[in-house]
Amino acid sequence: MLRSDHILATVEMIQKENLDVRAVTMGINLLDCRGGYVSETCRRVEEKIGTAAARFVETCNKVSQKYGIPVVNKRISVTPIAFVGAGFDRNGFVELALALDRAATAAGVDILGGFSAQVEKGMTATDREYIASIPEALARTTKLCASINIASSQKGINMDALALIGRTVKDLAEITREQNGFGAAKFVVFCNQPGDNPFMAGAIHGLEEADLVLNVGVSGPGVIARALDRLIHTKGRENLGLDDIAEEIKQTTFRVTRCGELIGRKVSEELGIEFGVVDLSLAPTPTVGDSVGEILQILGVDVVGAPGSTAILAMLNDAVKKGGIFASKAVGGLSGAFIPVMEDEVLAEAVGSGALCLEKLEAMTCVCSVGLDMIPIPGSVDADTIAAIIADEMALGMINNKTTAVRLIPVPGKEAGELVSFGGLFGASPIMPVRNVGKSSRFIAWGGRIPAPIHSFKN
Amino acid sequence: MGKQMVMSVMSKDRPGIVADITGAIYQLQGDLADLNQSVLCDYFTMILIATFDDSVTPEDVVASFSHIPSETRLEVVVKEMKTPIAITKAKKSPETYILTAQGKNKSGLVHRISLFCYQHGINILDLATTLNGDQYTMILQLDLSHVESVTAKDGLISSEPGIAGAIDDIRSSLTACAEEAGLTVVLQHEDIFKATSEITLF
Repeated sequence: MLRSDHILATVEMIQKENLDVRAVTMGINLLDCRGGYVSETCRRVEEKIGTAAARFVETCNKVSQKYGIPVVNKRISVTPIAFVGAGFDRNGFVELALALDRAATAAGVDILGGFSAQVEKGMTATDREYIASIPEALARTTKLCASINIASSQKGINMDALALIGRTVKDLAEITREQNGFGAAKFVVFCNQPGDNPFMAGAIHGLEEADLVLNVGVSGPGVIARALDRLIHTKGRENLGLDDIAEEIKQTTFRVTRCGELIGRKVSEELGIEFGVVDLSLAPTPTVGDSVGEILQILGVDVVGAPGSTAILAMLNDAVKKGGIFASKAVGGLSGAFIPVMEDEVLAEAVGSGALCLEKLEAMTCVCSVGLDMIPIPGSVDADTIAAIIADEMALGMINNKTTAVRLIPVPGKEAGELVSFGGLFGASPIMPVRNVGKSSRFIAWGGRIPAPIHSFKN
Repeated sequence: MGKQMVMSVMSKDRPGIVADITGAIYQLQGDLADLNQSVLCDYFTMILIATFDDSVTPEDVVASFSHIPSETRLEVVVKEMKTPIAITKAKKSPETYILTAQGKNKSGLVHRISLFCYQHGINILDLATTLNGDQYTMILQLDLSHVESVTAKDGLISSEPGIAGAIDDIRSSLTACAEEAGLTVVLQHEDIFKATSEITLF
């Protein structure tokens, strides 16, 4: 029989602490959809997604209802589209984007990821056409997310692609000027992009995956924050050490992950498709009380960005992994704490007060996933500076054998300190100042590749 | 085959009471099949099922228990089972839910919740309560498989899709009923608690 204190702890977690399953993402292989013409390929893509995801949203809702745990987002990820549309030109990719958007709408999912390419070593002619299509593709669609892998620990950094991407981010923001450059919020640049990540905007259905797979993203910064509050309140601050705190985070993560594992297994059982991984990320939402920044404050920095922030985040990230790994049959994706500025109220506040700067965020991304995420910057920052910021973040991932990513939004016509809001899960934040703008152009102009690091030669 | 009997014992608690009761059954060459014991506020209660030889009568069992020392008199009820039941554990219903209800203590709370269960065809498998200050907490393990709307809405592939809707209905009427009594209720499938508290998942 279950113990009453365990039951009450779980009830607390579900009812008061925002426990949810952040995302259930169905990965769908589209490699077999390539037809002789763009229109034929688009039709096949829509058909395949339509068939595969016919009962997906309905099943998620039913399992969620039965267990009383909300599944916040139902998503689809597809094979990186540059592979599916090999040989297409820019317009062909835009057509594909529209087809994917229609398919996502028909399936009733919140968002679809995988308008993507992998160019960490070199770009094909198709890849270049694909990159050229990104601004229009994202401006003309509502549910589509794009991502590109331009670096890896095995292959180095593709600096030619990087320069193009700096420009693409600017164009994306400009083409969606009316919405404060929202297009750029749907595009993320990766180093070591995983093929089984259920979180957006970077979800793809990797080439290494089976035809269909279900991945689950758990969340729970709110749950962890409340658990820590309770521990400190009952035991007393003076009686606790950081190892006790880490232990509490570990145990709480175990419970949170288990809920994700349960929901994932049930949904995949119902749909009869393989259950892939649980991604153990602490993903904040703009909701009050669901913030990673708040955990940092509870653990002892008055503002996020103050000295100590990186160390705390390192401990948090590690404890989350330790708790989650044992809770799940298979862990994958990004698995770590996210620090997306606009989506985390406390981080956004720290940007507004000047406590949190880009350089400190960069340091923090060394010890957590994913990277410089959802950061609004002044629209006046040039493409080369954006590319150089991305290059720094890619280097962190490449050298440290981890996933890093960048999602910057150069908000057209706005300057540092001005507020920008995208609403919903995308959140709001004051625009973060960027220092040393326009001083990296000679570096970006080189192009070529940053060679693979020495520790990639393991054979 | 022998004679299957169900025995209930209540007494003030003391060390050795289980040893004495089971010792008495052993003396009568009874074969103990299952038992459940609990202690509440220093009072001990136990229900046992055992099989005896055909010659043993319920009166013999009561007599053998009467020698067991107790601060209060040992209250004993023994009944012979007319139709013996299979002792192997009954398979647990897949529709086992945990209901927690918390609120300010007042009389009639357990009755209200249990009446709700009865009216909705919900069987209470287990119930434990605690009083902490004036906060009253009830934890109930419930079997919802006899709820008509749960089984009636049986879905396409398995029972799951139908149940989901029915659970929502029960949750909302339960919440309304509990609110009148000043209780906060949470009804969750047992799997959630197993998932969060046990090492093995399924």
